[in-house]
Amino acid sequence: METTITPRSLGQPGFASDARAFMAVIRREWTIFTRYPSWIIALLIWPLIFPMLYILTARALAGPDGSGLAVFMQTTGATDYIGYIIVGTTVWMWQNIVLWDVGFALRNEQMRGTLESNWLSPTWRFSYLLGHTGPQIVSMFMFIAITALEFGLIFGVRLNGSVWMLALMMLAAIPSIYGLGFAFASLVITLKEANAFVFLVRGLVMIFCGITFPVAILPGWMQSFSKWLPQTYLIHGMRAAAFSNASVTELLPDLIPLLGFGTFWLVLGYFTFLWMERRARKTGAIGQY
Amino acid sequence: MSDFAVEARQLIKKFPARPGTGDKPIEGGSASSPKKKRWQFWKKEPKAMFTAVNGVDLQIQRGEIFGLLGPNGAGKSTTIRMLCTLLEPTSGTAHVNGYDIVRQANDVRRSLGTVLAGERSIYWKLTGRENLEYFAALYHIPTAVAKKRVDELIERMELKDRANELVEKYSTGMRQRVAIAKALLARPPILLLDEPTLGLDPQAARRLRELIAELKQEGHTILLTTHYMEEADQLSDRIGIIDTGRIIALDTPEGLKRRINQKEIIRLEVSGWQEYIAENLRAMQEVENLVARRQAETDLWEVNMQASNSRAVLPRLVESISQNGTRLVNMNIVKPSLEDVFIHLTGKALRD
Repeated sequence: METTITPRSLGQPGFASDARAFMAVIRREWTIFTRYPSWIIALLIWPLIFPMLYILTARALAGPDGSGLAVFMQTTGATDYIGYIIVGTTVWMWQNIVLWDVGFALRNEQMRGTLESNWLSPTWRFSYLLGHTGPQIVSMFMFIAITALEFGLIFGVRLNGSVWMLALMMLAAIPSIYGLGFAFASLVITLKEANAFVFLVRGLVMIFCGITFPVAILPGWMQSFSKWLPQTYLIHGMRAAAFSNASVTELLPDLIPLLGFGTFWLVLGYFTFLWMERRARKTGAIGQY
Repeated sequence: MSDFAVEARQLIKKFPARPGTGDKPIEGGSASSPKKKRWQFWKKEPKAMFTAVNGVDLQIQRGEIFGLLGPNGAGKSTTIRMLCTLLEPTSGTAHVNGYDIVRQANDVRRSLGTVLAGERSIYWKLTGRENLEYFAALYHIPTAVAKKRVDELIERMELKDRANELVEKYSTGMRQRVAIAKALLARPPILLLDEPTLGLDPQAARRLRELIAELKQEGHTILLTTHYMEEADQLSDRIGIIDTGRIIALDTPEGLKRRINQKEIIRLEVSGWQEYIAENLRAMQEVENLVARRQAETDLWEVNMQASNSRAVLPRLVESISQNGTRLVNMNIVKPSLEDVFIHLTGKALRD
């Protein structure tokens, strides 16, 4: 009787292998990102365009002598109205980009046809989403640095605080901003389309979080609602860190809720992913375009 | 370790059906019942279900090539997707390399190399080499081993000269070779190949069939789905014919053909074919399983039928066809092929 020798698999399961796979996802994502040269233009132009809308509106409303700006600064407590606007609009753009980018990461893979071929491997599946986030965070920090540089050069906006405190605020915001992105990414796989949800979330951030005005001017119920949005604390904390030279202690009222929301959204994002993965195995949603 | 590389018992997969396409009418009384209308306000009706795979039993020996042959929508791909853990069965069990596809899904994935139908399973914005290095990491191959393995597969797949070019510049055949190299990376004992030659030119398809035969020689167990009879016939040790979610026959290619050996296959080429002629021919007692299809390239109709005694029926056949401008262009009496077996079993052609 003819005997055949069954080949032995070269794969070696373990934590180190999963870590290597995670790094491979990051490397793949970064390589693909850099192969679309249009990202450089987007990175240079977008930080200027969106805040300009509000800055020019502020100038127009300030009157011919600019006296309205003094009233604005008195109301907000800001020393630089441009810096005040930039912080709010940058946080809005950050959340918006994460919803489109991380939120549609799995959906884009699904439409490309590569999601199933990733899913066929023995790698921890959440690492596909987590790995996509790494290059996104790097590109977002580049985006924020370019925003600061461009407005510094063109409008003379100067940081009046610690760059480290500013970085601390941004790092503390990562879990909530990306946790929401993870939950969103899992829902998009199931619903196939979720543009309405993106518009809703960014609309809420725009109105309730005070991107160009202080939350204090909102009616009472709106102020209460704004406390449930982590972006409110991020915008407030970043303004304090960048322009009021706030210390860690002074930032704690913003940092603590931000980290609390971050834990909530990360856990929710992870469990939504697990739910989606389980549901996809039952319905075949992964392979459906 | 299990004696079988792949073993499935009563595998069933049901999906929620689109309106009007379910297996059975929705339960819960007639649509005109006033009681039902009242209930609909606050109670969800049971979903209509569509059964894609309906009780598949499979036992694939280690080292064999098993062909799963069936028309589009027969349940081939759904079966493969369950075996490779992308889908969970509604009921039934399956083991791959001895591992349960639901409870030991990660062990199943480690045992498998899978090529799914379609060429977009790799990244077009990465080079062939980058794709293979990426998937080597996903399959947990240590870096040093992966480098050697990627080089080896690039060489074997004849991609050496183009390995550092972006996949978007590759031909369909080259992309398919990268997809197969990806499946072979971890040197898995079992390969699932879902329509691997679909969309390839004849030369690339032939080269791929040679490769599949080589992989068998190296000890891989291969489950191959295809709707090309010649491919299944040429490569498979055994063939399962699947239709409407069920395996309706399972044997060696020769064994399957022997089932209709007592029949003769009459193959006609006809111009100006009319549907009423088919009805007339089907009415003849000696004629069975008549299938007519238009040949796109010649504008003629190929008409296949099975008969127990072709000599007795031929004169009447010719007479029935040659009327009202319909002409018999060519006629052959041939040995039964797998397609004839399929027609015999299902009453329809494989590519209907």
